[in-house]
Amino acid sequence: MNLLRQFRSKYQRWGLVRRIVLLSVALLLLIQIAVQTVVRSSIEDSVRLNLQRELSSDERVWSRLVEQNAQRLQLGASVLASDFGFRAAVSSADADTIESALENHGARIGATISAFLNPEFRLTAMANPKDAGVTRQNLVEVGQSMARDGQQGRMALVQGRLHQFVMVPVRAPLVVGWVVMGFAVDQSLATDMQALSGAQVIIVNHSGETTRQVIYSTLPGPSTAGMALPADTRGTQKIGDEEFAIKYVALPGSADGLKAILLRSSPEAHAVFDRMQKVLFLIDGLALILFAVGASWLARRVAKPLDLLVTDTERLGRGDYSQPVNDFGRHDEVGNLARSFDRMRLSIQASQSEIRQLAYWDRLTGLPNQAQLREALLSMLAKESTALQHAAIIVLDLDRLKHINDVLGYSFGDRVLQVVAQRLTRLAQSEKALAARVTGGEFALLLGACDAERALAVARQITLAFEEPVTLDNQTVDLSAGMGIACWPEHADQVDVLLGRAELAMYAAKRKSMGTLVYDPSLDSGSAQTLSLLTELRQAIDRNELRLFLQPKIGLSDHRVSAAEALVRWQHPTRGMVPPMEFIPFAEQTGFVRYLTLWMFEAVARQWRSLQPAVGLLRIAINLSTRDLMDLEFPAKIDALLAQYDVPREGLCLEITESAIMDDPQRAEATLNQLSSSGYKLSIDDFGTGYSSLAYLKRLPVNELKIDKSFVMGMEIDASDAKIVRSTIDLAHNLGLTVVAEGVESAHIYDMLAELQCDEGQGYYMSRPLPASDFNAWRARWESQRS
Amino acid sequence: MVSSVHAQTTRIFFTAMAFWGCVAAQAGSIQVQVADGAGKPLSDAVVFLDSPAAKALVKPVLGMEIEQVSRQFAPRVTVMPVGSTVQFPNRDTVRHHVYSFSPAKNFELKLYAGNPSNPVLFDKPGVVVLGCNIHDQMVAWMLVVDTPYYGKTNAAGQLTLAGVPAGSYRLHAWHAGLPVGAPAQEQPLSVTSADASVAVSLKGVSP
Repeated sequence: MNLLRQFRSKYQRWGLVRRIVLLSVALLLLIQIAVQTVVRSSIEDSVRLNLQRELSSDERVWSRLVEQNAQRLQLGASVLASDFGFRAAVSSADADTIESALENHGARIGATISAFLNPEFRLTAMANPKDAGVTRQNLVEVGQSMARDGQQGRMALVQGRLHQFVMVPVRAPLVVGWVVMGFAVDQSLATDMQALSGAQVIIVNHSGETTRQVIYSTLPGPSTAGMALPADTRGTQKIGDEEFAIKYVALPGSADGLKAILLRSSPEAHAVFDRMQKVLFLIDGLALILFAVGASWLARRVAKPLDLLVTDTERLGRGDYSQPVNDFGRHDEVGNLARSFDRMRLSIQASQSEIRQLAYWDRLTGLPNQAQLREALLSMLAKESTALQHAAIIVLDLDRLKHINDVLGYSFGDRVLQVVAQRLTRLAQSEKALAARVTGGEFALLLGACDAERALAVARQITLAFEEPVTLDNQTVDLSAGMGIACWPEHADQVDVLLGRAELAMYAAKRKSMGTLVYDPSLDSGSAQTLSLLTELRQAIDRNELRLFLQPKIGLSDHRVSAAEALVRWQHPTRGMVPPMEFIPFAEQTGFVRYLTLWMFEAVARQWRSLQPAVGLLRIAINLSTRDLMDLEFPAKIDALLAQYDVPREGLCLEITESAIMDDPQRAEATLNQLSSSGYKLSIDDFGTGYSSLAYLKRLPVNELKIDKSFVMGMEIDASDAKIVRSTIDLAHNLGLTVVAEGVESAHIYDMLAELQCDEGQGYYMSRPLPASDFNAWRARWESQRS
Repeated sequence: MVSSVHAQTTRIFFTAMAFWGCVAAQAGSIQVQVADGAGKPLSDAVVFLDSPAAKALVKPVLGMEIEQVSRQFAPRVTVMPVGSTVQFPNRDTVRHHVYSFSPAKNFELKLYAGNPSNPVLFDKPGVVVLGCNIHDQMVAWMLVVDTPYYGKTNAAGQLTLAGVPAGSYRLHAWHAGLPVGAPAQEQPLSVTSADASVAVSLKGVSP
């Protein structure tokens, strides 16, 4: 059982070839065993039958032989008995003559012994020339028993030898006596028998139940000595080393104990069949070998292609679809399987390339997408190339894409992107760079063997390429973009970090409207430097290192201090006074700006009362960031602060930059509406730099516009700036808004603005931002000068 | 068996004595019926009566013939008085070699055809068995008797002996079926002048 299980588990681990060979050979073996068994048993049957038939025929031959022998002897005896002279001698009772006649005739036919018995079976004369040891008594007994049984001949055992006795009457003309002749026949009969039929003969005498005496045997001497013969009349018997089929045959006219045994050698009878079976075994063995070889060949023919198919499919599994699956030029099932695999390969290859297309290419522009860019960068860096000492990536983001989408529709925006992609592709081809679309309006150029300097040159080329406006459907759109550059390995040694830093530089460039920026760790809020800055900024609030500064706004009609813009300064314990440019953009970027805004509100609220003039209202303006506008709870927070310090809402003005609104106009609008309805004054900061439409502005609950200082500062030398300022003032006034001009740096500007009926001015000409504590003193001084 | 034979013999004897008293010295005819032990009549049985007186009256018969016809002796049984001569004419086309080893007459007629020149003289009483050396199946018996009163039974096993003078005789009965060499069965018989009949039962006759 255990062995069977072991074999089964072993068998299951075997390959196809071994299994097929084993199975077929085992089956063949089974069949051969069955055939051999049948053949063997047929042979046994046939041999047995043959032996029996032969023995039956032997028995007939034997009977015939014995009969003929007896007849021959009888004839001889008859010749004597009918001899006239002999009869005359008998009639004359001439014993000597009778004896010599007996001897003479006995010698003629080779009788062992001859005798004459009178009609009463008394021995009258006897010739015993060979002195066979036959006694008178023997003869009388034989004669009497023959006469009693009415026999003319009988077999009898006399002195240990088998004798054929015949007895014929002597007639003269009536029976006057009997001639009895005896012949020792054991040897002659047996050898004649053997010569005639080939059967072996043993003549035995069973006297009594157990004793048996072998009279004569044609078998070579000693083998018969100790043999045990079966009691059965037919059967098999082992004599010596040989097996014989035997048959008991009675001897005619003999006593029961005398028997002849006819023997046929089994091995001899088997010999022909054995030879045949040997040939059969040989054929079986050859068949087994042929079968094993054939099955093995066939199995290999099936299994080897399967192995190769496994190799091929493993290659497919690894994603290598380039080589066709070998069909071995076969048209059978294996070939079909291979061809089916090949069709599978082609379809997988097709779908793989489609997936690859989807995965690595931007459908809109046909440029590689971010994933491919990333991989290209990876493989470029992975080359460890000797040529590639440097690499650079330029990330550019189209300005105002959202605006274009909003105003001109997304399909228009998409076509703009396609035009951008075309121009970048052209450029990339000439610069041997890879152009890719990262996302939205963001593109990237990957430059191999390129340092920051060359990257900057390429960036300038991009700017040049963007100079020509895009005209589509009679709409003309100016292209501009912020660009960030990061170089490998200076800025990052990892692909994602490099990409991130290029993006970071790009955002910084956009924020600062600087066109192109090369990455610098200071830009990076995630860098170690900025992390520590963030920590310090938090501490700045806790440690009260921030200072409230105020820059006054002057009413241009009455020259009085009407308002002030609240600004923050950082009194750093070691670095001194940190300018806002160094931490405000960072705070905006990280979201920390919300804490700054709240700090500002609190600072303003706390000092608001002390800053109020004796007459009138000093409205203090606080800048809100995009993040403040996105915070839906922001109004509630500042309400709470104002309530705490009992500051009226109209005492504050909230300044929002155009770009802050435009990041999420809807949400900004909701927050602004809420603030406005709460009673806060709202002002649009840096007006003119953003792209807010007048239609949109009109909807906003705004009270004031602040003209960007870039226009105001250019008024003196640039007529167009002056026109912008003037038309902005007119426009604002027409919309019912007050106008504040920033960047008033000279008396001339001051006067021009006053002439243009600008409502308020703010700038270095009047005052730099002042510490809040200095404000009242400065106001007293300013008003005393002006009045 | 022996006692039964004896009883039979005794019965015949007494019957004969009764006749003897009535017909002394007168010739009579004697009817003899011969049967075997089972009572079946025996043909060709030879019966003869002898006595010293009868012996003196023997007259040889000359020129008797025993033919060989169709390779058989004919007749097969012959009875004759002592001193008779017999011719053995061969009526067949083949030759015969007639012989006898019998003590009563040992003779041989070597192969011959036709009539042999000399008749054979049978001068001793006894049974003579004739054979032919070249035809084993040919057998004939001759009874040479020392008396003139003899006969052979017919098919019914009967014979009549006529003209037997009254007197005391021994009746001999013989048949070829008796064992070879066996003597004729004899019994005493008194013959009177009156006719008498005798039944003889022959024991040991094989058919």
